Amino acid sequence: MNTDLEYARPGTLEEALDFLWNHGKETNLLAGGTDVVIDVRSGKLRAKYLVDISRLSDLKGIEIKEEGLVIGAGVTLSEIHDSQIISRFAPSLRKSSFNFASRQIRNTATIGGNVGNASPSADTVPPLIVHETTAVLGNVNGERRVPIDYLFAGPYKSAVRPEEIIVRFILKPAEGKFNDFQKIGRRKSLAIARINMAVLAEKDGEGTFSFIRLALGSSTPTPRRMKDVEDFLMGKRPDRALLIEGGLKMAEKMIEVSGRRPSTVYKEKAVQGLFVRMLYPMVEHERRS
Amino acid sequence: MKEDLRSVGKNIPRIGAIERLKGRPVFSADFELEDPLTLKVLRSSRAHARVVKVDVEDACKMDEVVKVFAAKDIPGKNLTGIINKDHPLLVLDKARFAGDAIALVAAESEEAAEKALSAIKVTYEDLPEVRTPEEALKEGAPRIHEKGNLLFTRKVRKGDVKKAFKKCAAVVDKTYQTSFLEHTYLEPDAGGGYVDADGTFVIIASTQNPHYDHGEVVSLLGVENHQVRIIQAATGGGFGSKLDLNVQGFIGLALYYLKRPVRYVYTREEAFLVTAKRHPLTIVMKTGADRDGKLLAMKTRVVCDTGAYGSYGIAVASRTAVHATGPYEIGNVDVEALCVYTNKPFAGAMRGFGAPQTAFAHESQMDLLAKELNMDPLAMRRVNALKPGSNTGTGQALKASVGIDECLDAVRPQYEQALKEWRGGETSPFKRRGVGIGAMWYGIGNTGMQNPSTAQIEIGTDGSLTLYTGCADIGQGSTTVLSQIAAETLGVSPETILTVVADTKHTTNAGATSASRQTYISGNAVKDAAEKLSEVLLTEGVDLLKVPKNSLVLDSGFVRHVSNPGKSVALSKIVKLAHKKGIPLKWQGYFDPVTVPLDPETGEGVPYATYAFACHLALVTVDIATGEVTVNKIVAAHDVGKAIHPEGVIGQICGGVAMGVGFALMEEYIPGETESMKDYYVPTCSDMPEIVPIIIESPEPSGPFGAKGVGEPALIPTAPAILNALSDALGERIYHLPANLERVLSTSVISGLFSLKEVT
Repeated sequence: MNTDLEYARPGTLEEALDFLWNHGKETNLLAGGTDVVIDVRSGKLRAKYLVDISRLSDLKGIEIKEEGLVIGAGVTLSEIHDSQIISRFAPSLRKSSFNFASRQIRNTATIGGNVGNASPSADTVPPLIVHETTAVLGNVNGERRVPIDYLFAGPYKSAVRPEEIIVRFILKPAEGKFNDFQKIGRRKSLAIARINMAVLAEKDGEGTFSFIRLALGSSTPTPRRMKDVEDFLMGKRPDRALLIEGGLKMAEKMIEVSGRRPSTVYKEKAVQGLFVRMLYPMVEHERRS
Repeated sequence: MKEDLRSVGKNIPRIGAIERLKGRPVFSADFELEDPLTLKVLRSSRAHARVVKVDVEDACKMDEVVKVFAAKDIPGKNLTGIINKDHPLLVLDKARFAGDAIALVAAESEEAAEKALSAIKVTYEDLPEVRTPEEALKEGAPRIHEKGNLLFTRKVRKGDVKKAFKKCAAVVDKTYQTSFLEHTYLEPDAGGGYVDADGTFVIIASTQNPHYDHGEVVSLLGVENHQVRIIQAATGGGFGSKLDLNVQGFIGLALYYLKRPVRYVYTREEAFLVTAKRHPLTIVMKTGADRDGKLLAMKTRVVCDTGAYGSYGIAVASRTAVHATGPYEIGNVDVEALCVYTNKPFAGAMRGFGAPQTAFAHESQMDLLAKELNMDPLAMRRVNALKPGSNTGTGQALKASVGIDECLDAVRPQYEQALKEWRGGETSPFKRRGVGIGAMWYGIGNTGMQNPSTAQIEIGTDGSLTLYTGCADIGQGSTTVLSQIAAETLGVSPETILTVVADTKHTTNAGATSASRQTYISGNAVKDAAEKLSEVLLTEGVDLLKVPKNSLVLDSGFVRHVSNPGKSVALSKIVKLAHKKGIPLKWQGYFDPVTVPLDPETGEGVPYATYAFACHLALVTVDIATGEVTVNKIVAAHDVGKAIHPEGVIGQICGGVAMGVGFALMEEYIPGETESMKDYYVPTCSDMPEIVPIIIESPEPSGPFGAKGVGEPALIPTAPAILNALSDALGERIYHLPANLERVLSTSVISGLFSLKEVT
């Protein structure tokens, strides 16, 4: 246990940013604490200050605006689960909250914390990626906007700067497109994802992919958009053979990025399986029509 | 057993349930002590190493550090172990696994204790690490213990397997492998203690066997029996791991020297690192049957990896060998089970003592044989199931209470319906459904050795009744069941009986809460005590009521004439008169099941006086493209002899199924890797199937009101049933537990259901 840690809970975002301006490098943010408190107890967290931003009202709120679906970084996973707006405009993000840890953890864990912790298997991230989310980072001088893909420097290494706080996320709404999240865990809840992935896609009148965004988590050092696979699928008709090939491409890309590891034996197959399962409804949809 | 029972068989509120709901029982980490010291143990960082020097000088000088103990400080015998004594409390000269106890720190605070641990300097001289039983058994392998790496061999031999295999129409020869498991009870091990006014070392701990703890602490400290008192704290589960000495010895050692209250609370990580695990078993099983499915021969070789210490390893090897036939009659049997040391965390007792691992093997074999013979798996089991008069592998002739046929028949309607209607009903192209059966038998109590229990019942001069039992209730409900048995015998309601439980100062030895033995063995001891008291009360009633004794009954605090309720006398009145006459008011009961020790060469003997039987039906759905498994339903039929408390039995069955799901699909402790519940997966409620418990009562003549046991049987058939259902769904079998994502998906690929190129 790191017992020398000093805890502070600023009353406003400004105060918090002020503090970070001066002590950012020695500070770890606590935004819910479901990851951080574990590191405090195990002694892994080496910071001098623990700044609790879980209750800052500036980080709350879920709204649909002209610029997109705006979700405060301090919104909890339970709030995501219960939000009608998110259910309508980002169903895959809502689905990622279904099996996210346990109810107790969902009540406390925040989306900003999930992103900031930069775990390769963070469940909210693949949906955020397919929604081409922009993260708005605050600092004492103003704000910086960064595409979500750029927020991850490595496993558990965030690209958020020491003086910054993630304030909110701006998502491109799903707007009726096919939108899904899938996850494989070692059990049905309270399980870290072995593999997770998300999709946002649309077919044109011809029944071919006219839009597709794919993201894969838990399989590469940082969650990532699967652009090669998107490019491969664009303009093609989603039938079974195509999905199998797309799944293979996804698995190949994973191996290209991560190399072959002991877990690859499973993941190479399961990534393909999960991919096909995730996109299969698009095939069936065509059959019915 | 058709007589009117007023307590037994009734779902009375569990004794202590209200108190527990109100948060009153005090668990081992929570009871108040005056200014207690914190204890912590320095654990070996090496799996196998000579401990050349333990330098505690710096640690001793630190603030708030009161004392640092090493092996040389142990005043008595520095060796513990319930069956074989091979486990030092603090290692003297060598560490046998990464986690072995090197030194004990007593400090004023947890922080100080932690800091002291990091200031202790240990000089190790690494020894070659023995990682597997195969390595351990090789000639010239490094010796983990002086006597060698082979701790024990159990043989069970009957008939002539060689000859019999030649007559078989089908023979199946397969190898099965299981993993280390961690019990993962809710409450990590903990305890504390103080020195009483009369100098007694009082230790309150989370334990399954207070009287064993007592003997060990007495021996470690080299003191007299009366100088140590063990009290069982409210205990949040044990599943076998709290049968070993965990914190008790350290607390005793600190009390001996410091005479100050002390407390030792394991973190979850420490409990994972140092407490017993389930033995991984390698089982090579060859089973043969004739054309009609009748089993003719079985040859089995088992290796149990017991890790660094014996703990209950000998019992596991013994039970595995005896149970290898499954609940079936086989004329020719040749089993050999070895228990082998390795430099891994020690394996000990865990719900079932090897029987769950063995059942995985014998039940897989049954399905494989059924397939070869083109028989229905349930019918195949029915052909071979033990019956009264059957002869077991150890040559024991079963007399009564053999309810396996009834269990098999009980699941049949749902089994047939599942095959006919449910199995083909899956619409997703990525899913396959499977249906499987798993059966088991389980000997109640210790294997071929004495395991008596005692209990006392006292009546006060006001007529109040008190039951004294050493039996640790660790959540399973033994106090309730024992109260019901006492109440039934004495004609009162169970709530009116006061209970004094698991305190070595006030209760007599009831043996371990293990081996599903307490209802049967302690139940009988309680019944014996109650009958002795009843006899006295009725005899005295004769004097007062002037009627023959055989016309008198005990009823609600009175001795009453059986047909003339007006003719009665209050127990309080009888007791006062009896007391004046000097008749004892406290009576002790005793029971030890009749067993015959097993012959070392043939295993011939009577390992258990009675057996429980069960059959589970599992319905599973497999995702062939990802390896995910959903257990949809478990129908669990259990022959318990007599359910003293049916809801308690159902509770055990449901909990057992949960553990069985974990054993089948996800639980695996990897020494050196697995740290805590963050990387050790036990099922959550989301993973639980619908459970249909079916209680079968084939009365056991020697059991209290016909009862046997259910604690471990509840778990045993679940994994075999799930694995058989998986095999049904996938068309290929998994031989290695757990059947995790990786193994299921790779089996799906092997079976051709799913491939990288094409999804069918």
